[in-house]
Amino acid sequence: MVNTRTPTGAPRNALALLGSLTGAALVGALYSRSQPTVAHSPTKTPVPDFAKANLAARRLNRAAGTLALSVLFDSALEHYRGQFRNRAMYTPLVTAAMALGVSAHGTMDQRQMPHVVRDTVYVLTAIAGLAGTGFHLFNVRRKAGGVSWQNLFYGAPVGAPIAIGLSGLLGYLSERVRETPSGQAPMVWGLPAGRVVGIASGLGMAGTTGEAGLLHFRGGFHDPFMYLPVTMPPVTALVLGRTALGPAGTERRATRWWLRATAILGLSGSAFHAIGVGRDMGGWRNWEQNILNGPPIPAPPAFTGLALAGLAALSLLEDHPDD
Amino acid sequence: MSDDPLITPRAVHGRAPDVFHPGGWVPMKEYPLREPVDFVVIGTGAGGGPLIARLAEYGYSVIGFDAGPYFRPLEDFASDEASQSQLFWTDERLVDGANPLKMGANNSGRAVGGSTVHYAMVSLRFRPEWFRSRTLLGYGTDWPLDWREMWRYYVQAERDLSIAGPVSYPWGPKRPRYPYRAHEINGAAEVLARGAEAMGYKWAETPLATVSAPRGDSPSCVYRGFCRVGCSTNAKQSQLVTYIPRALAAGAEIRDLAMVGRIEVDAAGRACGVHYHRNGAWHFQAARNVIVAGYAIETPRLLLNSATDRFRDGLANSSGLVGRYLMTQSNQAVYGVMDEMVRWNKGPPSLTITEHWNYDDRKDFHGGYCWMAQGPLPVEWSAAMSGSRKLWGARLREKMADYNHQVGLKMVGEMLPHPDNRVSLANEKDRYGLPVARVTYSWHDNDKAMIQHALGEMQRSLELVGAKDIWRQENDTNHLAGTARMGNDRKSSVVNADCRSWDIPNLWICDGSVFPTTGGVNPSLTITAIALRTADRIQMLQQTGQLNF
Repeated sequence: MVNTRTPTGAPRNALALLGSLTGAALVGALYSRSQPTVAHSPTKTPVPDFAKANLAARRLNRAAGTLALSVLFDSALEHYRGQFRNRAMYTPLVTAAMALGVSAHGTMDQRQMPHVVRDTVYVLTAIAGLAGTGFHLFNVRRKAGGVSWQNLFYGAPVGAPIAIGLSGLLGYLSERVRETPSGQAPMVWGLPAGRVVGIASGLGMAGTTGEAGLLHFRGGFHDPFMYLPVTMPPVTALVLGRTALGPAGTERRATRWWLRATAILGLSGSAFHAIGVGRDMGGWRNWEQNILNGPPIPAPPAFTGLALAGLAALSLLEDHPDD
Repeated sequence: MSDDPLITPRAVHGRAPDVFHPGGWVPMKEYPLREPVDFVVIGTGAGGGPLIARLAEYGYSVIGFDAGPYFRPLEDFASDEASQSQLFWTDERLVDGANPLKMGANNSGRAVGGSTVHYAMVSLRFRPEWFRSRTLLGYGTDWPLDWREMWRYYVQAERDLSIAGPVSYPWGPKRPRYPYRAHEINGAAEVLARGAEAMGYKWAETPLATVSAPRGDSPSCVYRGFCRVGCSTNAKQSQLVTYIPRALAAGAEIRDLAMVGRIEVDAAGRACGVHYHRNGAWHFQAARNVIVAGYAIETPRLLLNSATDRFRDGLANSSGLVGRYLMTQSNQAVYGVMDEMVRWNKGPPSLTITEHWNYDDRKDFHGGYCWMAQGPLPVEWSAAMSGSRKLWGARLREKMADYNHQVGLKMVGEMLPHPDNRVSLANEKDRYGLPVARVTYSWHDNDKAMIQHALGEMQRSLELVGAKDIWRQENDTNHLAGTARMGNDRKSSVVNADCRSWDIPNLWICDGSVFPTTGGVNPSLTITAIALRTADRIQMLQQTGQLNF
């Protein structure tokens, strides 16, 4: 029986090529050199390293920036599609742009002290994420049928604003790690920073999986690659969660691989979505419509941002054994 | 040679049009005229398409004939209502009776892919009780098919056509999840939903044969709204872009612009081939089996036109029922105007549905009906306003200005089978020299009672959501069924459950004409499910030595 489900021609070749590239990158991540970790002797108390705390903080800035970049373009696209019917729809563009700016600043900033502007922007961004979730939920509830599959699919995406909230949260955590006094292990809210960041990124990843799952379900999982972002990140979230709750100060090769794999997946997701845009009516020649109606190209790197945060958490955990 | 698909056949010289690429071709097997093929299938629509594909996939030699052209949707379908009337069967037919049917747009098709090329893609299952409506509901007649078996073939049909439907369907027995998710509902569909909720009725997104995500070389639906004519993007999962390409890949041949005028019967009383008109001349194709899938008018017309000395009343007609029990479906509507902008032409026209009165039996008439949201294009809408509402001139122009605020609900209702509603032959001849069909139709008391009930319900629904300037379109009908009904015995039916005629063992009829009753939902999915079952049954009968060819 002839296969009428998969596309022919260029889209099929592009999917095959990108699938192979992604596979190769995942294998490559397995063999790539790990960051050198300090070999801890159980008898010696490790000396907290200021440079390492700063490095971890900058990594978190980078993660927050990646998320902000994803949200900036995604919300710009989706809210433009919604014709900015409500003035509040400009909010994520403003907050994401600011978060992106301060994240870039933070990534380059080697000083060991928080920055009041960065700190403020990150807190505002986190609040905007929460408020956005409320707005989106309100939008879904007032449609005919209320909270139904129809409205969850096509109403304002309930999970999306949380991404910018997470960017704010990661940035806030970054500032807390950065302000670690010399000679002390980084702590947040009285808890070891690595564990807090690890749990936060794991939860964020689980939530983002929910969002991807909902929208890929809406797309009927019409392409087998659509199962990747609903199968790999949950495993990563679990592995990261276990690491964040388990003993610190040890090397976690498996966790590191899962995080890198998820980071790669987030980037190749954008390329997969670009192929998807090409499969809509008129292909890329009709990009003005298809970018808006096809799969959102800027969305998948949210996974990359969270995986980068997970990697920062992993380094914190490996560098600062707390038990 | 002309490149006009309406004039020159395209499926010739070992190739057929590639429907997914402008100007493209796919290889096609061709069979010699004199050597009998295993199956000739007359008609390539909801019944013929799946049969051609499945029989070819089982390894039989199959030729599908269609009187219509072989279109490439991407290059042949303009976003123009008038141009798209090329998809309708507009050859002359005589209509009479108390309520003559309006033939053409919504009850015929003339193209490879049949009327599925322009159908509204509504893909609903029968209520299980309808297959035994006489026994369980006290009207019509029982089908020889078991609903549980049909349920399995519905699943196959829905999968093959990538039906986009709701995550859970609120009526009837549990069904597996539709392959694709329902489409986003438009303003007109939301009005139906709010009205149904105000009345306390359930509503759902209508399961539609247009993809909500890419599938193969079909892009996802772009909500142009030109759905009741040809879909120029191939999102619509018509036979033309689903089963027919499968059939070609499996080795079937399609003959477009090939009008079959007569089925030949040999001395032993078996069908042995078909006479068809193509390229300006009559030809004969020999066949071991003939399957007629020309729908409720052309199928009985062909059977009646194929009369011989031995079968004086037409083929498969020892019961005298060929052409009788013609059914249409009531398609009345109620329209109104909303204060807010609706833009009802955006997206497929029937995005939401309530089947409430198909499943609720507390009513004083037999049969059931559903209603769906509407979105007629401007020309169709002005025709309804002038033809049914009798508006003209300045008044019509003024009302047309409300187009973007207009909403409507339209029923699909079950008309009951009646022997006097029928297709017979007229003395008049068509361009091929064949007697044309005379279509006689009258509504009966039950039909009228249902229509009045539905109009009242739909009007109440529109009133509850605040529609103004409400009016009723009382004269519309659509889908056809009957004229070669299936049954359990040769005296009261034309074919058995396998769509095999009682009189001629290698003559089959497989389309909407085999329906004993027509149900209160659009028939195409049921026709396709029956065709899929027939293909499986043919394979089973052949394997167990019960076909002998």
